[in-house]
Amino acid sequence: MNITISNLTKSYKEKLVLKIDDSHVNSGCFLGVIGPNGAGKSTLVKIIAGLDQATTGEIQYDSTPLNTSIYQKMTMVFQKPYLLRTSVFNNIAYPLKIRKVDHRSIEEKVNQLLEEMDIQHIKNQNAWTLSGGEAQKVALARAIIFQPSLLILDEPTANIDPASIFMMEKTVRHFHEESKATIIIVTHNLQQAKRLCTDVAFMHQGNVIEYGKTEDVIFSSKNQITRKFVEGEIIL
Amino acid sequence: MSEIVEGFHKAIELLVSLDKEIYEIILLSIYVSLASTFISTILAVPLGVVIGAKSFPFKKLVVRLIYTMMSLPPVIVGLVVFLFISRRGPLGYLGIVFTPTAMIIAQVLLVTPIITGIVYNGTKEKGEEIKKLAKTLGANKVETLILMIKELRINIFTGIVSGYGRAISEVGAVMIVGGNIKGHTRVMTTAIAMLRNQGDYAMAIAIGIVLLFLSFIINSLLYHFQLGE
Repeated sequence: MNITISNLTKSYKEKLVLKIDDSHVNSGCFLGVIGPNGAGKSTLVKIIAGLDQATTGEIQYDSTPLNTSIYQKMTMVFQKPYLLRTSVFNNIAYPLKIRKVDHRSIEEKVNQLLEEMDIQHIKNQNAWTLSGGEAQKVALARAIIFQPSLLILDEPTANIDPASIFMMEKTVRHFHEESKATIIIVTHNLQQAKRLCTDVAFMHQGNVIEYGKTEDVIFSSKNQITRKFVEGEIIL
Repeated sequence: MSEIVEGFHKAIELLVSLDKEIYEIILLSIYVSLASTFISTILAVPLGVVIGAKSFPFKKLVVRLIYTMMSLPPVIVGLVVFLFISRRGPLGYLGIVFTPTAMIIAQVLLVTPIITGIVYNGTKEKGEEIKKLAKTLGANKVETLILMIKELRINIFTGIVSGYGRAISEVGAVMIVGGNIKGHTRVMTTAIAMLRNQGDYAMAIAIGIVLLFLSFIINSLLYHFQLGE
């Protein structure tokens, strides 16, 4: 899915928190959104996901404004996922059920994904009893089970153990290779951005101040603020 | 003390002997409480979800009013309903004063705010997250509402059980609007109050035991439901 952002702003009580003139995310791109806290990364992805309203400007998805059909093709995984008060299987199956997929296909697809992500042992467990890492894997499985064209990940591995991070990254990478979906990930972890992303957008004080291929932005940035961030300096 | 022990003995005898009067009272109590809880649930669940999930002017005032109404004194509700439905009242033409219908109306007014308040609290806590999730997974409005009710089922169930508890144990309002007429509007609580006045402790204790037993069953159901989760 192509995403085109035009003159986007977001203000909270007259305080401007986001200002992006024009930006384009190509279909099939794996975009990392990086930047310090308060840069507007989460606000941006929430607006793209249709969970928040922009103050001005617009976003087009494959040259179409956000509508019901677009909602059906995209999804988002949050840092703290909300899992339904039911089994892991039912959580992952939910997007397929509301898309009226037949019971047999649901069973097959969910089992296959559970196996791929090495979580088949928790298939019948109540999702509310899972550890943080397991819960995040279930949230990711639920997000990709219906093959969305746009997957948004808001710091999905921020609070989980390294083994779970490895599995999450492996799953996301595999999903990207297989589906050619557009993926946007908000991350503080530069190593993760290097491992996963084809492109990186660096945000600072509500603006995208650098956007390009991952190696160009992270390894040979010409922007002073980006360089400082990459080198681990505190930026204000 | 001996009166209490003797009362218990007589109570068990009455219950075992399937005394018609006692069982009529018990059945009417269950009917009135179930009917009022059912009507209140239909009204209160959507109301609680909407108040919890939507933003609208004067929302804080509405919430405060609901909280206040959760502890409405039953005698006041009984009095107000009575004034409306009594023969000289604006709804007197309906001819429902001193009938089970009047008792159900009074109890609906007492129970609805309780269920609404409990469902509102659950929605306020989790409603936003559930809505957000439903949206990101592509659910439409109806699917979102169904998901919301499913996810809030414990709050809804707690509200219903609390409401039913209030209805079945309430005495003031049903006494005023029902009149405690034998074989017609006499329920367990009004019967206990009357029997105590008459000094018939055996019958009062027998009905009291049934009331406690019903309360135990309701709470066991709630406990079982929560345990299952």
